[in-house]
This record gives sequence, structure tokens and C-alpha cells, in this order.
Amino acid sequence: MKRKYLAIMLTGVFVLSAVLTGCGSSSTTATKTATPKTIIFSQGADPRGLDPAFVDDGESAKVMCNIYEGLIKYKDGSTEIEPSLATDWTISPDGKEYTFNLRKNVKFQDGTPFNADAVVFNVERQIPPKATDDMPYASFTYGPVVKIEKISDLSVKFTLKSKYTPFLANLAMTLAAPVLSPTAVAKYKGKLMENPVGTGPYTFVSWDKNQSLKLKKNDTYWGVKPKADNVVFKFTKENSVRASDLIAGGTDIIDGVDPNDIAKLESSNMKVYKADGMNINYMAFNCSRAPFNDPKLREAISHAINRDELVKYLYQGYASVANSPLPSFIPGYDKTVQPYNYDVAKAKQLLKDAGKSDLKIKIITYSNPRPYNSVGGQKLAEAVQNYLAKIGVTATIDSYNWTDYKTKVANGEGDLFFYGWTGDNGDADNFLSLFDSNEIKSTLNSAKYSNPAVDALLVKGRALANGEERNKVYKELQEIVSKDAAWLPISHSQVLAAYSPKVTGFSVHPTGSVFFSGVDK
Amino acid sequence: MVKYIIKRLLLLVPVIIGVSMLVFLVMHMFTTDPAATILGQHAKQDQILALREQLGLNKPIYVQYWDFLRGILHGNLGDSLMTKTPVWNEIMARFPATIELALAAIIFASIFGIIMGVISAIKQNSIVDYICMVISLLGVSMPIFWLGLIFILVFAVQLQWFPVSGRIDIGLEPIRITGLYLIDSLATGNMPAFFSALKHLIMPAVALGSASTAIIARMTRSTMLEVVRQDYIRTARAKGLLERPIIFGHALKNALIPIITVIGLQLGTLLGGAVLTETVFSWPGVGKYVVDAILVTDYPVVQGTVMMMAVIFVLVNLLVDIIYAFIDPRIKYS
Repeated sequence: MKRKYLAIMLTGVFVLSAVLTGCGSSSTTATKTATPKTIIFSQGADPRGLDPAFVDDGESAKVMCNIYEGLIKYKDGSTEIEPSLATDWTISPDGKEYTFNLRKNVKFQDGTPFNADAVVFNVERQIPPKATDDMPYASFTYGPVVKIEKISDLSVKFTLKSKYTPFLANLAMTLAAPVLSPTAVAKYKGKLMENPVGTGPYTFVSWDKNQSLKLKKNDTYWGVKPKADNVVFKFTKENSVRASDLIAGGTDIIDGVDPNDIAKLESSNMKVYKADGMNINYMAFNCSRAPFNDPKLREAISHAINRDELVKYLYQGYASVANSPLPSFIPGYDKTVQPYNYDVAKAKQLLKDAGKSDLKIKIITYSNPRPYNSVGGQKLAEAVQNYLAKIGVTATIDSYNWTDYKTKVANGEGDLFFYGWTGDNGDADNFLSLFDSNEIKSTLNSAKYSNPAVDALLVKGRALANGEERNKVYKELQEIVSKDAAWLPISHSQVLAAYSPKVTGFSVHPTGSVFFSGVDK
Repeated sequence: MVKYIIKRLLLLVPVIIGVSMLVFLVMHMFTTDPAATILGQHAKQDQILALREQLGLNKPIYVQYWDFLRGILHGNLGDSLMTKTPVWNEIMARFPATIELALAAIIFASIFGIIMGVISAIKQNSIVDYICMVISLLGVSMPIFWLGLIFILVFAVQLQWFPVSGRIDIGLEPIRITGLYLIDSLATGNMPAFFSALKHLIMPAVALGSASTAIIARMTRSTMLEVVRQDYIRTARAKGLLERPIIFGHALKNALIPIITVIGLQLGTLLGGAVLTETVFSWPGVGKYVVDAILVTDYPVVQGTVMMMAVIFVLVNLLVDIIYAFIDPRIKYS
């Protein structure tokens, strides 16, 4: 009997040592077989899908911007636009016809030639009558388009309903705008979400749901060849686990870094990337009724809030103080514009002049964190409540979940409330339209602010061609809305990412996209 | 026996109807509008209405429920609202990962649980007994989420014994036969993949199995204590049999029935309840899939997955009942 136990024990020891030796050797095998230039990028979730007509999430965009391209693209580090699949374009004198000349000798990753037919096909599937209701960005991107025509094999013409310059910025977006291989669209009917084929620097290889998605270098790419041979997107839900994975060497780059993990990452020699995101976190006054239909009272409240202190305290250095509704990298941003400064005495004086020294107001807010406000609406509202108490204004706070909250704001409940916006196309109009009185009904103009001068300038801005004259219009708009104080801009939340010191050329574009063709290790 | 199995299988019908009704009502009455979620921040009211119409969400709730039930009867769980892919395919792609993790966890929990339980029972009230019971108390009380993070910090980041998360090193995935990486890699003789999969499996399996280990250990201890006081054990000892054959040959064999019940129930729970472990270790299983779907109100995914889990739970229990009959000849089903 004893011998039997001895035998079992010995077998156990043997199996264990075999397993452990195996474990040790497997990592060496892994390094030997892996290609030297594979960049692993960890993000929090799978893409929703890879057909740009049907998705609107950032996780999908990060993958798609490396596979697909549009006619136009953004410049590095800003939302100014430059040619991509189109080499140049002309706009008719009435501003309604956009004619694009297309790049020669470009092929999709499946060998299909890129030409006017491909562009027409892609636009037509997203405008009536072919567009379907579940295309989240079709009406935003192609809403202004009446028709698209092929002029020649390498030239197409869009006809718009009216002059609308932001249309160019729409064509640079990763959602709705990219040009897909028409052959692939026909071939993978209904399964295109998992079989993307574009003209971009990387070709789709495979997608293991909830695990990873692999891209490889597109050897026939028309532009500058990508530096890495493969890019792997790894899906790791928990922020802190992603950070641990980076430190342990399981990944090269991570996005969505938790501020709490930054010290740990830096002490492990990892590099932390921080930049302003394309968003705005703001406090809005309900301008449609008393008390805040009076601009003087809005001014008084604005003077009462110390935004520098508030942003520093709430966001611990991972958001920047916003002075304009526009993030600084958007063409037309005016750095001279400042909201009313922190001045308690002036705030009290203004209230006294208006005979409202004992003002009582109702604040409504949302209970959950938002992309532009990581601490959630409740904390923000409480901080503002404290500032208001210092000037003798009594405020109550009602907090709701996001869905209910949106209805409350739309119904005009609350005198003061919190909201935010994540930009779509990087055009100034995309942010400043939130002050358009025509958007009160759609609830985009949440403050229900109405100023004919602002409406007129917005119309003018949409009609002017990109350039200094157009930027001047937006600067003027920022001055007016800042003076009228329908909003008090609070902060721009920052994009936080981290990467291994081996990695070079990594950055996050202001739109949130990560372009891998320049990334190396 | 066959009659019994058929009877039990027929009982699945009311279970499926009950579960489907419950999950359908909960999803449709207490969650947000998926049309608004799909369309995002530019959603206009008329667009949302049109999409609701297209998705069939404007029909009366009993009509929607009937459509859903009819789909199930045809073996069609519908398409995901978000990814537009068939729910059945998505579940099947993830299910092997869940099975592999649950099996590894239950094997770990059974081996260690029974060993700890037997030792505690033999050495009742000794220091070894106390140590085993404190360990199992810790196992039951420690939240898996926390335990998982601690494992990652200690064994993956500090000691670097195991990878932080995932199921296998990227690029080493074996050819799919069963979807269980350990089996597929062995079957194809792909040893690097086998060891990589094993290394990835150990931490999540131990974390997931920790609570079950504790439950099994406590169950084993108490039944063993009961059994060793029985007359036939005293007789065996009086005959002069050695202690080991008495414990393993007589006592443990007789104590196994309640232990197997617990193991069976635990396996059922592990198959459906690995949500937290899957989240912490980024294990690409069904648990994580359903949680992500709940967050975006993807009805078909949640409904399909919950139904599937319910059926599996019932089947695992049936299997345990059948195993009884083999272990204990006194049990007969008619």
C-alpha cells in the first residue's frame, strides 16, 4: 500500500515539475515565435462592430481608423482637415456643390480598385432611400446631402441642400464617412460588422470576441508604409488590470487609465500620455424663465464660482479648466475669451442691485459619471452649492439617473443644471450650435438660450469657407456667449493613456482615435 | 431510470417558460430604451420612434414575448441589437471559455476541498483542523473581485509567475476543435499553446474555485465526522484494519453523496456565476458577455444567455442525480 502512495506522490511531483518547466519554456517559445514588430494596444471593450455606418462608439472608431480612410482626414494634433483619398476639391460659388478629385492607383485591401463608383456606393447606402433607421451617424454626416454623382472615374460631386461648410469636417470622421470596399459590402452582406475591408494602412485579420482583434500591415498601402507589422487590440475591461498588464509586459499601450493608477505606472517607468479631449463639461442656466432669464443674475452666479479651485479639487489635475465652449485645438478657438472671473464681492453686489440678495434656486443634476465629468454630477452640484452659499444664494439639489435627467432638462425643470458635450467632427459649429435657438426643440440647446445675433452668426459660419474669416465669426460667437453667460464652462476632461518606454510615435488624436501607422517599438 | 430522465427533461419545459417570462419582463419593464442607446447623442425623437418600430419594440408586450418564444422553439435566439450578429453564434463562441474555467475551478475546488475536509475530520480540534477551517472561512468570505486583483498584483505583477489576464498568449491560439484550449492544444500536439493556456487558466480558476473549495471542505468535514462515528467504522477498526483504508475505503465513500450534491450545485453556479472572475481576468466567457449586454440593454443577448444558463443549471442537476444512482446502489429512480 505504502508503495502505491509513494508511486502516486512521485507521479504528482513529476507532473508538477513537467508543468512548471513547461510554463517556463512556453514564454521563451512565445518570444521566439512572435514577430518582433507587433504592437499590443489594450482597451476596455470590444468594438460594437466594424461597419462605420452602424456604430457610434469610441472603441469601434479606434480600430476602424486604421483599416478605413475617408476622402478627407484630420491633421495631426488638431481637427483641421487635409486631403486623404481625395487629392483636392472645389466648392461651387453658391457653396452647394462639392467636387472631389480622387487619388489614383488606390486599391482596397481585397484588391478592388478605389474609384468614384466606390464613393457613390458608400454615400448612397447612407442617404435616403437606402439609409436605415439604425445608422447612428448617417443623418448627421450626410444629412445635408441631396445627391451624389460620379463625374468621371476619379471624380465625384456632392450636392447639398444649402451652404454648409462643416460638411467637410464630417467627411473626416471615422463614423459614417469612411469608404468601404463595395465588393466586400456585397460579399459579407449582414456580416460586414466582422469583415471590414478598406484602403487604410492596416488590414483586418481576425477577431476573437472578448479577447483580441488582429490587424496586419497593408503591403499595398498607397501612403507612408506603417512601421509595425501587426497591431493587436486586446480587450481588458478593468482599468487597474490593464495597468497591471502593462507593468507586467503583457501589453504595450493602454487607454482609459485610472488617475489612481498613474503613480504606480510612473514608478514602474511607464510613460503616461495626457491631452485635452474633444469635450466640454459645463453648468447651464435655464434661460427660458425667471430667475435666470435675467443675464445680470447669470453673471452674478458666474462670478461666485472659483473654477480653478473647483476643477483642481474635483478632477485632481486630470481635466483642464475650460474658458470657452470650444476645446483649444479646434479651429476658431479664441484664447482671449474668458468667462466672468471669480469675484465674490461683485457677485453679491450684482445680486443686491437686482434686488435678489436672498435668491433661492433649484439645481438638478445627473447621478452617474459622464465622459466629460468623471466624478459624476452630484459632486459637481454640491461644490457649486457651496460656492453659492457664500454669496447668500440657497440652492437645493435633485439628482436623477441619466435617462430621467435628460427628460427633466428637456422639460425645463431646474434653474441651474449640469451637462456636457462630446464633439463629433471637430468643427466649431458642432460645439457652438448648442447655443442655436433652433435647437431648443431638439434639446441640444439645453439652456434654452435664444439670441438672434448668435443664430445669425451661426448661419454665417456654416456658409463661409474654412479659413480666417470663418474663424473670426466663431471668435465673435464665443465672445457673445461668454458675455451672455448662458453657460459657465467648467472643464475639458483629458484623455489618459500609458505606454511602455519601448514604444515610440504614440499619441491620441484629439478626436480620440489612435493611428498606429507611425507607432513603433 | 430512462423514464425518470425523460420526466426530468420534460420538467425543463415549465422551467424554460418561467425563466423566459421573468427575464423578458425584467428586461422590458425596468431598463432603458435600446433604440436611444443605439442611436447615441444625436438621436432625434422621430428617429428613435422609427427604430423602435423597425426593432418591433412598439408591438404589445405579449406579442413581443410570443415572437421571442416562437424564435426559441425554432432554435433562434435572435440577433444582438448592438452588433447585429446572431446571439446563438456569439454564445457558442464564448461558451467553451466558460466551461473550461468552470471545470478547472471545480476540479481544483473538489481536490483541495475534499483533502482539507478529510484532514480536518481526522484531526478534529487539532491545530491542523483549525488552520484548514480558517482557510475555508477566508475562502467563503473573500470577495472574488478583490481576491482576483490581489492574485494579479502578487503573482502576475510582482512575482511574474502568471500572465495578468486573458486566456492565452496572443498568436498561440490552437486550432478549434472543442473550443477548450487545453484539450484542443493537446489534441493537436501544440505544446506551447497548452502551457500558455494552462498558465492563463491557473489564477482565474483558483480565484473562482476559492469559495467552492471552502464550501466543499466544510461539507466534507461535517459528513466525515458523522460517518466516522458510525458502527461499521468502529467494527472495521475493531477488526484491526489500518486507519487509511478505513478513512478512504469506508468512510469517505459513504460520505461522498452529500459532497457530490454540493459539487454538482457548485458546478452549476460556477458555469453561470463566473461574471466577476471573467471581468477581472478578462476571461472571454459568457458571464462577461451578458453583463456587457445588460449595460447597453441588448434584450436578445440577455434573454438568450439567461435561458441558456437556466437550461444548463437544470441539466447539471439532473446529471448529479443520475450519478447518485451509480455511487449508491440503494438509490433507485422510478
